[in-house]
Amino acid sequence: MLAEIGLISLTIAFIFSLYATFASVYGGWRGRLLWVESARNAALLVVPLLTIPVIVIVYSLYTFDFSLAYVYDVSSRAMSPFLRVAALWGGQQGSVLFWAWLMAAFVGIVLLRKWDRDRELMPYVIFVSMLTTTFFVGVVLFITNPFMRLWHIEGAAELTQALFQPLTSMPYLPEDGNGLNPLLRHFGMIGHPPTTYLGFTGFVIPFAFAMAALITGQSRRDEWILTTRRWTLFAWIFLSIGLILGGRWAYDVLGWGGFWGWDPVENAMLMPWLTGTAFLHSVMMTEKRGMMKKWNMALIILTYSLSLFGTFITRTGVISSVHAFAKTALGPAFFAFIGFTFLGSLTILYLRWDTLKSDHSLESFISREAAFVLQNMLFLAVTFAVFWGTVFPLISELVTGTKITVGPPYFQRVTGPLFFALVLLMGIAPLVAWRKQAARTLGKAIWFPFAASLGIAAIWGASHRMHPASIFGLWLVAFVLSAILAEFWKGVQARRTTRNENPFTALFNLIGRNHRRYGGYIIHLGVVLIATGVIGDAYFKQETQGTISQGEVLSVGGYQLEFRELLGYPGSDGRQIVEAVTSLSQDGPIIRELTPRRDYFVVQEQPVTVPGVYSTPGVDVYVMLIGWDDLGTSATFKIYVNSLINWVWIGGIVMILGTMIATWSNPGQREATYVLKPSVLTSHSLLQEG
Amino acid sequence: MTQQPINEQEVPSSPTAKSKKIGLIIAFAVILALLGLLAWGLGKVQAGPRESGMAPDFTITGFDGRTVTLSELRGQVVIVNFWASWCPPCREEAAYLEETWRKYEGKGVVFIGVDWVDTEKEALAYIDEFDITYLNGPDIGTRAAQAYNIQGVPETFFVAKDGELRGVHIGPLASPQLDEKIEKLLAEQYP
Repeated sequence: MLAEIGLISLTIAFIFSLYATFASVYGGWRGRLLWVESARNAALLVVPLLTIPVIVIVYSLYTFDFSLAYVYDVSSRAMSPFLRVAALWGGQQGSVLFWAWLMAAFVGIVLLRKWDRDRELMPYVIFVSMLTTTFFVGVVLFITNPFMRLWHIEGAAELTQALFQPLTSMPYLPEDGNGLNPLLRHFGMIGHPPTTYLGFTGFVIPFAFAMAALITGQSRRDEWILTTRRWTLFAWIFLSIGLILGGRWAYDVLGWGGFWGWDPVENAMLMPWLTGTAFLHSVMMTEKRGMMKKWNMALIILTYSLSLFGTFITRTGVISSVHAFAKTALGPAFFAFIGFTFLGSLTILYLRWDTLKSDHSLESFISREAAFVLQNMLFLAVTFAVFWGTVFPLISELVTGTKITVGPPYFQRVTGPLFFALVLLMGIAPLVAWRKQAARTLGKAIWFPFAASLGIAAIWGASHRMHPASIFGLWLVAFVLSAILAEFWKGVQARRTTRNENPFTALFNLIGRNHRRYGGYIIHLGVVLIATGVIGDAYFKQETQGTISQGEVLSVGGYQLEFRELLGYPGSDGRQIVEAVTSLSQDGPIIRELTPRRDYFVVQEQPVTVPGVYSTPGVDVYVMLIGWDDLGTSATFKIYVNSLINWVWIGGIVMILGTMIATWSNPGQREATYVLKPSVLTSHSLLQEG
Repeated sequence: MTQQPINEQEVPSSPTAKSKKIGLIIAFAVILALLGLLAWGLGKVQAGPRESGMAPDFTITGFDGRTVTLSELRGQVVIVNFWASWCPPCREEAAYLEETWRKYEGKGVVFIGVDWVDTEKEALAYIDEFDITYLNGPDIGTRAAQAYNIQGVPETFFVAKDGELRGVHIGPLASPQLDEKIEKLLAEQYP
């Protein structure tokens, strides 16, 4: 009964989205406001209409309604309540529904805002965003319907999945379900997929506004950038969180001691993040100087297309990856959709190219503008390198008949120097003024961070004679870190002298007076910390593997692991656990008892390695149980000593904080940074946005 | 839709217009090429791996120099496992594969490990790590992988005594899946 309500609601949601798509574009084309209003109402109604099937599926998962094929696939009696709820996005059908629902919710929230300033854009914003939503709702309804039931047709060896009872069939109600893939039974399952989806779907909003601005060709054409700045930041930070949580998850469950493997699925997520980051920076050029308008249009189209492309390659398995996604009939429909989106948006851009003219041109190569251009070029270069490496197996197979996969070394070698340059630029660019700056003043601003970082790198390099590239990398992070901190220092000092504030109040007010600028610096700070973690991972990782008997010791990087005993016991979620009790010591005293395990999921017949980790800010000792003999007297361990890896996660948290600050509006205050408004914007305050 | 000219400044001069055209034609060409590539890849994926019919023949030279040709193994059950040293799920099944091989060695069962897009050094380390004794060799030019249209690794194909494919397992094998399959194939009788 419930499932029928879900299905009916889903069907109505599809009809409403379809209606909203066409009513809005008709209303916009003919100038009929009533049609646009009607489309807006229909689009708003899609949100509750999609919420109903989502609730029904969650409820069915929670209450073990195994008559639904989806519930049978991803839920089981042994699974904990939180995993049963998270199973909503644990399989293809549920995750596409969840995706469609998030997108509809985004569109709904946008439609609820005030449309006083940019009413002309509304029909086409509805059109573009609802077209996309309609596609995803249609996929849920027609291709990956989560309300399919299991039927047993007389004489058939296998069960049939269908929405309605096939002839000569009996409904089939299994006792228990298959349950979620064991690798997904992890805390990361709560955070990583939803944040990733929020990131991916969120980009539809700036894209829809950009398209609407192009289609209407209206004179206040930079409005879309101001309106969508926060949306873009929102989507971007969720994509960032998704990336970091995904890395943490991989680190915890995949058992290779790393967090990033340049797998196609990871790359699929990285590429829109890269272009999205470039976009977030280059929009400032349009906002403050009226420059790079074409470029921004191209960038947002690219970002959105890449997020669709990423979803496409991962969901259809066109590029094989170690991440297993079930093969479905999604492919052809999705292909048609991305083809339409890519070509459609490019065509509109082509037709409206001449409306996007810069108000100013580049005045000097030492200027904020030039730094932004360089930064954008670097981001695009990284994106292209990642893209090329990702599709290369496909290209090589087509051209030479041989599938050649480029592994992590390719990505590291190609993107490493580019990332290096980007981080360096991140340290210098914020010190460069808009329009033009004398090299002398710039030198004055950077000499101190530069000298300080040289000192740090020299002292550090002398004490740790290791890989030269690592010293170079450390110099880099030290430099950028001191450059950013110097900015804070200068701001605080200025407030202290002019307003007589104590340092903490001064810092608080400094950030409070200019959220965007200092929020941005804090995001940069997070990036520096992540870079530190990456350097540690790239150059200071130590590993060893060995089989030891009880009482014996395996050593690596100054740590000793003693194997004490092997335990076996049943665990939650239907798993059998084999756990090694070991003690970790550092040159003498025992510092921690570690219990690396191997969980065997009986029903799924799948083992999952759970590492034992000793974690400190400087170093992670990551121990995995690889194997053991039948009597439990000896066991094989793999130990990684991962230096600085925790800074990746800490940096991620700092980035989120910075973004929250940057997104926060400064009520009633003017932006304190140097603003040169393009002429078209002078009649509208920059501060009324959102 | 408002169609008034919105740029009060002078129209772009013809060289820019020309370069704009060329740039966008290139952009269209690139996107069409990409879509073509994706369509081709999608077509292959949609076809799925081979599961039935005669098992495509291939010859493989092992890392140890032994050579084997599938068609010469008629009368025996053949397990063809595609793997790679960089693939974490492959590691999960490696020990089980080897264990099963030792159990059935000399009982009319042949295991062939096909190492897919890998580097020899890492592959040898992998074989060493799991003490793998059945024949393993690189899939030169990914010919075998293409003949079987694999979607990724690990994938295991089951070849019956008459040389016909009897299904494929995608993803890591775990006890007792392989044992059961082998018993079933060994029990097959032909007139």
